Amino acid sequence: MREKSTTLYIGPQHPGITGNMMVKLQVEGDTVVKAETHVGYLHRGFEKLMERRNWLQSFTIVCRICVPEPDPNEENYARAVEEIEGREVPERAKYIRVMTLELARIASYLLWYGGQAGSAGLYTMPQWSVGDRNYILDLFEDLTGGRIYHMYIWPGGVRRDLPKGFKDKALKTMDYLEKRIDEYDKLLFENSIFQKRAKGVGIIDKNKAIEWGVVGAPLRGCGIKSDVRIDDPYEVYDKLDFEVPAMEGGDVWTRALIRRFEIRQSINIVRQTLEKMPGGEFYNKIPNPMKWKIPAGDAYVKTESARGEFAYYVVSDGTNKPRRVHVKGPAYVHGVTLLENLLVGENISDVSFIMNSLGTCPPEIER
Amino acid sequence: MTDTLNKENKLLEVLKEEFKLLSGKVKRSRRVEVVIENEQIIPILLFAKERLNYIHFSHMSCVDWIEEGKFEVIYILWSPEEKINLLIKTKVAREGEDLPNIDFIWRQANTYEREIREMYGLPFDGLVGREEFILEDWDEIPPMRRDFITNEYVSETYFEREGREDAKDVREQILGRTDEKLPDFAKKYSRD
Repeated sequence: MREKSTTLYIGPQHPGITGNMMVKLQVEGDTVVKAETHVGYLHRGFEKLMERRNWLQSFTIVCRICVPEPDPNEENYARAVEEIEGREVPERAKYIRVMTLELARIASYLLWYGGQAGSAGLYTMPQWSVGDRNYILDLFEDLTGGRIYHMYIWPGGVRRDLPKGFKDKALKTMDYLEKRIDEYDKLLFENSIFQKRAKGVGIIDKNKAIEWGVVGAPLRGCGIKSDVRIDDPYEVYDKLDFEVPAMEGGDVWTRALIRRFEIRQSINIVRQTLEKMPGGEFYNKIPNPMKWKIPAGDAYVKTESARGEFAYYVVSDGTNKPRRVHVKGPAYVHGVTLLENLLVGENISDVSFIMNSLGTCPPEIER
Repeated sequence: MTDTLNKENKLLEVLKEEFKLLSGKVKRSRRVEVVIENEQIIPILLFAKERLNYIHFSHMSCVDWIEEGKFEVIYILWSPEEKINLLIKTKVAREGEDLPNIDFIWRQANTYEREIREMYGLPFDGLVGREEFILEDWDEIPPMRRDFITNEYVSETYFEREGREDAKDVREQILGRTDEKLPDFAKKYSRD
């Protein structure tokens, strides 16, 4: 006899993601047979707000789109405006930007460590990794004045130069975090519970991954080497030496390993930027922001965020306000079409586990 | 640099040979832009995907050019081999016209189309999917249209909470405590 199917609502609040999003599941026994993503709990209309604010006022809004990692938004917006206007950015500012982006990536991965382990029921890991993330937030506080939202990378460069003693403090923090990765391995990757839960779960088909719009760590976890930093280099990534890890597998386990390797690469990049950073200006001053007009035109820019390719499509009509700013975060695809298909056939208890491994971030979906 | 731009120029030439483009240009390295009539959307997308290997659908956006009475819809594709973003633009009338649904080519396009349908009121012919995506019980004009004025909507829909009337611009109040004056340049950007 066929089992009766039941509707189960997971969310809007649940451990799988940062933010609120509901997944409506159709389950038979404890197996998912259909999944539907429902968003709308976090829509704040940022894109509409930006159309009514001038170019500099809009810059203060963009970072609010993503809490765990706001910097790719700032960098994308700044670079899009610079591209349309044709504004040059000083070399020093580019190095500082890359350093900020990589620090944000590490912070975001540390938060992800916590979420991924927490959704498997391993509660020591979040305490450790979120605690260590605070050291990076301390660096951000020194650098920008803010811990979560930095409003630091703006059109023309960055808002402030490195404060006194920042380099030493940053290098010390990097040394500390590098040692901690081995501790995390013992706690998470060598844990048999995590291994059993993660291996063979939430598998993305390698042959279809690019076509389905998968980006970032989930795509590299299918064995496809794809990274905006290499494929479409921005700022000074083409002058830095780093590797992009890629592994065959396509399951939660592989995606977790990819992120683990990437933390080491990011630590390496932060060290390089601090060493290679030239002196000089850090900001190419913009005119009076209230009268600042950007010539008509459009730009499509993208960054590699911790969750994958983060893109901005910005249009100017020649006035002092943006005509359109369209934000596309990786979760727009990962959290809707990919997740809906990936959950079919999985166990209910793996739903938030898989969601976390894709880096689903609802504020990116609805902005 | 010249080497990479060669790739972009070659792509533009291939597209010019196959399709009647309204315009086309290389924006910069790794960005090529073409403008087409909206009847050609499906042929050009299929051609780019099947023949030129632009298999990754990166982005789809809509811009409201209310002065012209048109929506501009932008499809952005990426080729993992050539490492080029191809921007395909088309214009469609704000009222009475629709665009073809393309989610049979890339299934993730479904999400973009549902959002554009909801936020701009632009219909896609043959689009299947839940009507509501982000908004709930919305019966005003689609909110991302330029003629939807957020300020007016807010003042008509929401009421001032009693006792909060003075909270509009608190600068005067704060300055009043120390007998300071609001400088003229700041008054200019006052909210009232």
